[in-house]
Amino acid sequence: MTVEATAREPVVFGFGTPEYAEITDWVTREVHLLDEARFDEWYEQLHPSLTYSMPVRLSLMPKDGFGFRDDTDYYLDDYTSIRTRLNRLKTEMAWAEQPGSRTRHLVTNLLVEGAGDDEYRVRGQFLVTRARADHLPDIFSGVREDLLVRGGGGLLLRQRRVLLDQSVLKSFNLSILF
Amino acid sequence: MASVETDVFESRLADGTEIDDLVTEEKGISRRIYGDPEIFALEQERIFRRAWVFLAHETEFQRPGDTITRNLAGEPVVLIMGDDGVIRAFLNSCRHRGMRVCRADRDNLKFMRCVYHGWAYNRDGTLRAAFAEQLYEPERLRKEELGLIPVTQVDSYAGFIFGCWDPETPPLDEYLGDMRFYLDLIVNRTDDGCEVVGVPHVWEARCNWKFATDNFTGDNFHLYTAHGSMVELGMLPPDPMSLSYGYMITAEGGHVLHIVPGPPGFEYLGMPKEMIPEFKRNLSPAQQAVMERSTFTVGSIFPNFSYLHVFVPKEQGAPPCSFLSFRMWEPLAFNRTRIHSYLIVDKSAPADFRTETAQAYVRTFGPSGLFEQDDMENWEDCTLVNSGQIAQRYHLHHGMRIGLPPDPDFPGPGKAYQGSYGEQTQLDFYAEWERWMTAPRPVGARKEA
Repeated sequence: MTVEATAREPVVFGFGTPEYAEITDWVTREVHLLDEARFDEWYEQLHPSLTYSMPVRLSLMPKDGFGFRDDTDYYLDDYTSIRTRLNRLKTEMAWAEQPGSRTRHLVTNLLVEGAGDDEYRVRGQFLVTRARADHLPDIFSGVREDLLVRGGGGLLLRQRRVLLDQSVLKSFNLSILF
Repeated sequence: MASVETDVFESRLADGTEIDDLVTEEKGISRRIYGDPEIFALEQERIFRRAWVFLAHETEFQRPGDTITRNLAGEPVVLIMGDDGVIRAFLNSCRHRGMRVCRADRDNLKFMRCVYHGWAYNRDGTLRAAFAEQLYEPERLRKEELGLIPVTQVDSYAGFIFGCWDPETPPLDEYLGDMRFYLDLIVNRTDDGCEVVGVPHVWEARCNWKFATDNFTGDNFHLYTAHGSMVELGMLPPDPMSLSYGYMITAEGGHVLHIVPGPPGFEYLGMPKEMIPEFKRNLSPAQQAVMERSTFTVGSIFPNFSYLHVFVPKEQGAPPCSFLSFRMWEPLAFNRTRIHSYLIVDKSAPADFRTETAQAYVRTFGPSGLFEQDDMENWEDCTLVNSGQIAQRYHLHHGMRIGLPPDPDFPGPGKAYQGSYGEQTQLDFYAEWERWMTAPRPVGARKEA
């Protein structure tokens, strides 16, 4: 991205624009792939220079901001390490996901902005539920901050920052993807 | 009125079971110790309100007024750096109505002000002001007696701050004893010491805290089953005995560890080669002799503070990188534990190592870690099943390589047993647990009652 581009007001793609429709469609299809455990197809939506992170959040006074740490993450992944996570699920000893989590990713209230040529910043609020065995379901809420870029005949995810609402994770592990 | 001696020490549970019958060499370990609220309440009284428990690390505080809120034996504690640079710990509770005086995870405060009626405390814990002081007769508001209640004993080792609610518990140095020799290998080996990276991961599992400590007594032989997926991914060596070629070590006081050599080239716990001269400068010859041949070490400080210093690839195909993580297993209930997991690095570690070590830690042993995920699965299930009344009729099995003679030639202190697959250190941890649970006063207390 050039300096000139960052200095400009971002182009907002509102509801009804072709860009908004295309990205809404992309997000909808993406979360279906996750919830249907079609991880290889999901992986095809990722850009090779992917960064995938989830910062730790603290419970702070408003004067100290929202509490997201830039030095500590629950996930600190890239294209290769995400592949490693998915490959693990194909082994027959990934006990945390065998039997598997049953997830539902509800991503909504999308805000779409242009971020350069064929690049889009997408903020989507999420509610992710994870049912597992006979446990009470885990509930995760927050915002996904994505950077989508055009490539490979469609849109690819180049950056995802998952901003959780929880400060203490009330879940015994994070064996799913957001 | 019948005379009830409430101060008589009770060595039995309500149903008459002797506590020292729960852990025996003949029968093994009772499942009840993981799945009984009565035992949990006794642990709070006899272990967590007496023993030294980790609170925070000094490098989490930068300037006077910095606060961190934690819990000690189930009660809220605030740590605050004073204007003199001293980090103090107090019961996080206003003397007026008991409200917490610090409610954010972290803050920087000129004074700690209760949000209920406005009583305010200085950074050293003294009461600065009450609301409408002029309405009190002076003798009814003795401010000098109404400071925050300090944690009874607070001390630190290598920057790790511990708190203790019992005045009779021996000082921290004595409590850690021989374990200091082994801690030095990981936290006292460089000129400027170590520091916390960022903030700890904090999450909760529906498990008994002892399954966590048990696992970190150096349970190496769970790796090839619990973490079998990592072998298939090529992130653990294919030899299922690979982690058996080291030592199980029992230091004094129920502090235990395993230490394991690795392939040539991975000595000094797999740390960057350029740091080795610094290690040599800071460690004794005996410590060097141990560290020189070690790649991997896992241990626990009694009762609930554990560490792992492992050497693992951050993803498939990557070379292994070492990281050091400390864990505090905070007991919330017999079946609920809050995990505080820190990434620790030497302050002098090279910049590229800091990036790599963070990735290796988060991806393998953070809450989303490829290893960590499966541990939680086991600890939760063990806790659930061992809570059953039928299950509790049958003891758990511990028998691998126990009762062997220690190796007299091992250069470090404590009892070092050759071979790092075994259950000796687990049994030694439980023996210490039983010692505290059946002791009328803190283990090691000097004064006789």
